[in-house]
Amino acid sequence: MVTAINDDLFSQTIVDDPYTYFNQIREDDPVHWNEKYELWLVSRYADLVWVARHPEVFSSEWWKRDPRSPYPEIDESDMGLYQYVREFFSDWFIQHDRPEHAEMRMVVHGYFNPKAMEQWRPMVQNAVQSLLDEAEERGTMDAMKDFAVPLPLLVIAQMMGMPNQDRTFIRELAEKLLFLGRGELDRMQPLTDGINGLLDYLSPIVDERVKNPGDDLLSVLAIGEKKGIYNRQEVLANAILLLLAGHETTINLICNGTLALIQHPDQLNAFQQDTVGRAVRATEECLRYDAPVRSIQRIASEDIELGGKTIRKDERLRWFISSANRDPEVFTDPETFDISRYPNPHVAFGSGIHHCLGATLARLEGQEALRLLVERFSNLNLAVPVGKLSYQPSITFRSLKSLPVTWSK
Amino acid sequence: MPRKLKVTVDTNVCVGNAMCEHYASDTFALNDDRQSMVTNEGGNTESEILEAAENCPVSAITVMDAENGETLFP
Repeated sequence: MVTAINDDLFSQTIVDDPYTYFNQIREDDPVHWNEKYELWLVSRYADLVWVARHPEVFSSEWWKRDPRSPYPEIDESDMGLYQYVREFFSDWFIQHDRPEHAEMRMVVHGYFNPKAMEQWRPMVQNAVQSLLDEAEERGTMDAMKDFAVPLPLLVIAQMMGMPNQDRTFIRELAEKLLFLGRGELDRMQPLTDGINGLLDYLSPIVDERVKNPGDDLLSVLAIGEKKGIYNRQEVLANAILLLLAGHETTINLICNGTLALIQHPDQLNAFQQDTVGRAVRATEECLRYDAPVRSIQRIASEDIELGGKTIRKDERLRWFISSANRDPEVFTDPETFDISRYPNPHVAFGSGIHHCLGATLARLEGQEALRLLVERFSNLNLAVPVGKLSYQPSITFRSLKSLPVTWSK
Repeated sequence: MPRKLKVTVDTNVCVGNAMCEHYASDTFALNDDRQSMVTNEGGNTESEILEAAENCPVSAITVMDAENGETLFP
């Protein structure tokens, strides 16, 4: 007798611990129709990879194409805002299929290649050390607010050539964008405010970069406009995408990784024995064990059979990275956090044509942040009972609300 | 006469990002698993093939001089 599956993905139990929930679903109903949100849930690794690698069947244009109303529901009075938000997100290159997607991605793809990203390692190291110096002086740290948040924002703001003094302002606006994929009834307003605020902020900067391009990331997008690949709207929308994607996910990598290390002191100790030699594999294991992104959405372009179920055209689907990364068919002892795990073919960055553009940068920031953190502080531990930690009610991101830590002085 | 190249894709690492196909469309294509494969080592110029290798997000592509085995990328 199979336990009835709870379809309320935004319930606090599932938000706080998706793993227990998905371990069950992956066993009992790996391609599961979630009646509450009218959504297919894909939880097996093999199915995630298949869906991700068949973009002609599973389209990324879901903001544009989804005929159903938003889920969870929103205030009726906000439907106008919903249309506005929808149009805005449809300009993101990640919301396009081939052939447009390749052209749009090509504009920024080279900027993020492994050789180019490696040039940023010294800057990232310096930024990490500064933040840790400040924490050490204070004697306390919320690893999220004081470390994980400022670091990636510093990096992406520098990449975009934005003045340092604007960072707090940018963060406040970007936080409003995080209502994307959350469950609050009235989320359309902060989403709209965030979009408009960032558009207002970026417009004059982009104007300037189109006239006088430099070698920063905003100029790279501006060159895309010059080449006729992006219109101005798309330059601005994709600048905002890179801003959001460049920091929220990395914040989660650092926080979730720090927490995983704290909760597995034997692994934390092992890491401390050789931080330089072990940073790469430790970061990969953090990405696998508690990925920054929980799930990604697609919409079916045609009827298709998957896992014995029939998915119909225009039905929406989410693949769950959190679940695929614990699939026992791929990972030995998937529930074990092992920083020496190798190979580690996790799908924290997805797969296929939309494989995360920022993966190399995320890895670099994760490696330096985690390595230098554990090098600096011995007996790193939580400063609050673990029960006091909680997660944002998001279906897309795996985001802690805070992470107060302490260490031996 | 352009030199002969040996081009390989490590399928343990390839994630099917397929940008290589875009940078050097006569050299790379996707196989049935939607991972990259080399269709013709002389399909594009050496510079185009090196660009594809350099822009592989997971560094799955290796390019060598087929005559003397010199590694051209990584």
